[in-house]
Amino acid sequence: MTRTLSFGQAVNEALRIAMETDPDVILLGEDVAGGGARQGADVDEMGGVLGTTRGLVKAFPDRVLDTPISEMGLLGTAVGAALTGLRPVAELMFIDFLGTCLDPLLNQAAKLRYMFGGKARVPLTVRTVTGAGMQAAAQHSQSLYWITAGIPGLKTVIPATPYDAKGLLLAAIRDDDPVVFCEPKSLLFAPGEVPEGDYEVPIGKARLVREGHDVSLIGMGATVRMCEQAAEELEKEGVSAEVLDLRSLAPLDEAAILATLEKTGSVVVVDEATPRCGIASDVAALCVDRGFDFLNAPVRRVTAPHAPVPFSKPLEDAYMPSAAKIVAAVREVRG
Amino acid sequence: MSAVAVRMPKLGMTMEEGTVVEWRVAPGGCVEKGRILLVIESEKNEAEIEATTSGFLRHVYVSPGETARCGALLGALTETADEAFDPAALLAAEPRPAPRAAPSSSPLRAAAAPRPGARRPVAPAARALARQLGVAVEDVPGTGPGGRVTKEDVAAFAEDGARRERLVRVAPGVALEVLRAGEGPPVLLWPGFGTDASSFALVTPRLTSRFHVLAVNPRGVGASTAAEPGLSVASLAADAAAVIEAAAEGRPVHVVGASLGAAVALELALAKPALVRSLALLTPIGVASPRLLAVLAAWQRVAAEASAATLAKSLAPLLFSDALLADGERRERMLRGLAGAAARVPAETLGRMAAALAAWSGTRAPDLARVSARTLVLAGADDLLTPGAEALAGDIPGARCVVVPRAGHALASEAPEAVADALVAHFEA
Repeated sequence: MTRTLSFGQAVNEALRIAMETDPDVILLGEDVAGGGARQGADVDEMGGVLGTTRGLVKAFPDRVLDTPISEMGLLGTAVGAALTGLRPVAELMFIDFLGTCLDPLLNQAAKLRYMFGGKARVPLTVRTVTGAGMQAAAQHSQSLYWITAGIPGLKTVIPATPYDAKGLLLAAIRDDDPVVFCEPKSLLFAPGEVPEGDYEVPIGKARLVREGHDVSLIGMGATVRMCEQAAEELEKEGVSAEVLDLRSLAPLDEAAILATLEKTGSVVVVDEATPRCGIASDVAALCVDRGFDFLNAPVRRVTAPHAPVPFSKPLEDAYMPSAAKIVAAVREVRG
Repeated sequence: MSAVAVRMPKLGMTMEEGTVVEWRVAPGGCVEKGRILLVIESEKNEAEIEATTSGFLRHVYVSPGETARCGALLGALTETADEAFDPAALLAAEPRPAPRAAPSSSPLRAAAAPRPGARRPVAPAARALARQLGVAVEDVPGTGPGGRVTKEDVAAFAEDGARRERLVRVAPGVALEVLRAGEGPPVLLWPGFGTDASSFALVTPRLTSRFHVLAVNPRGVGASTAAEPGLSVASLAADAAAVIEAAAEGRPVHVVGASLGAAVALELALAKPALVRSLALLTPIGVASPRLLAVLAAWQRVAAEASAATLAKSLAPLLFSDALLADGERRERMLRGLAGAAARVPAETLGRMAAALAAWSGTRAPDLARVSARTLVLAGADDLLTPGAEALAGDIPGARCVVVPRAGHALASEAPEAVADALVAHFEA
């Protein structure tokens, strides 16, 4: 049976199922047990700053661990726990904090299986909130998944719907390699149909959201909905747009990208992150490198500008990609 | 194995599109190489198409009753019943022709030389398709932003290119579409009033094994240069002479004309006897009867007011024998073929052709005795429009006349075997 859950509720449900089905799964992070520090409060009242882990500490009191405010400490602990055979799900509250704890991810989690010839495994999942759109300002609004996607040995996924959030998180937790699981801030309270029970969405597979034949709009996370809105707008102009949701940034579903390019001959890739060295550039390079003979128009990137995320609401809105910007880009490449 | 595309074949030199009549194999079903996979109809002809490979019919893109251009994707076969196959992806890989601009009245000018040194943006997909089709991408006009040449531009250009190759220059700024096929002594085919080279579509396959057939679309028909005021049977004959000089290097050819085309052939035989190796006149006109002139006037009116299909329906009782009209399936096929041909003859052309015929009617009666070419006259026993064919044959020295039983005015369509047999015997006599 399916019912409507928010993205955050879908994540919560996936965590609960993972913990029910595997006693080795533990959660750790800052405030994941949530609200416990407040005197007289229900231990489970908060469930993290965004309420995503609410109810879990009651169900699994020994396996949901609040950590000190030290990302280096919590990620180091999580990598160590994973090496001993546990399946830790560590919460990095905002991906902006990656700078304080990059080494356990970059030099430990990502390298150990390789350097020990496969004898060591790091079945670690790092849940982290990404992106702008909630006026969380420059240090809490970045989309830095391009950093983890660029590190060999790390997988990085970013669901766009509650359905994929649940299925991809279950797949990430059960994966024997470290996976960074991104939760776009602007989607956390967005509702969607989610089936009950246990299912996985495979890592490394893009999702064809909408079929079309004139142009391919490729999005990820929060920009998928923008691509869909743009496609609806373009349809009124008689332009048939295909929408592809990458879902997995590493590994990247190159076959799906090249297939949609071959079909439409034209790609607009939409990313909430800054433009340099990012996923949008990576997809554009793939199209030119491996899909050159399919290109019937230039590949266009619609991204945030190369600038910090502004705090001011009007400026933040102007900073973000949008359906209108996507439509404008499509008109430009089609002439 | 990847999927094998089933495409609309090009069965005759005038065939540009065909209609799927039926698929003999259901989607998902199995077919052996060489067995009949589907039946198509084109130019009044039905053809069974064999599978070029054994496999399973995984997808049908064109359903019975639908029409597709030659080369278009009709279906897909795979070697096994359940291997991965994406029908949308196969279709998406097909070039989609861009909507073409209205045909230029001067195709020769349209094919003007490219501007040398001009650097224009070309989409990589356009380059790839041009390479595949053997098109010089520099020659392709671009319709994309900033004049970019797109994949669709190349596809449209290649399609036009096939047309351009058929054009034969007959006068400054005038080119006629000449469809060629076969090897051997040249045979020129000139169609009648209001129709095009496809009116010989059922006859030509029976000639091409022994003859080089040149079927002409006269001025104002198909891709040929528009007919201008003052068109006359003599000017049409001059066009025919120019086609022979250009396309057959001036060697004398066997000239075949039907109806108004027979008038052109006759005029040519009188004006340029050296170009005519033999003459074959199908349902010829000596003097246009009042009934014929009335039919031509009605033809123009209906063409101006109604669809080509309605026109074909209105003309059918006048053009075909009762025997054919009684055969429902054949009748429908003929109607579709006639409508297709009629659609390639604009109303303006009809007016000029009718005027040319009215002006010419009867003027050559005194000259028939001067025709020196060996002549065959073919008449339809049930022809309502040109009943004077036999009498005309009597006025041409040595002319032989064959009356085809149970056949009407549209002789080449109704009795292609009898016509072809008589023509071959005549050419080789």
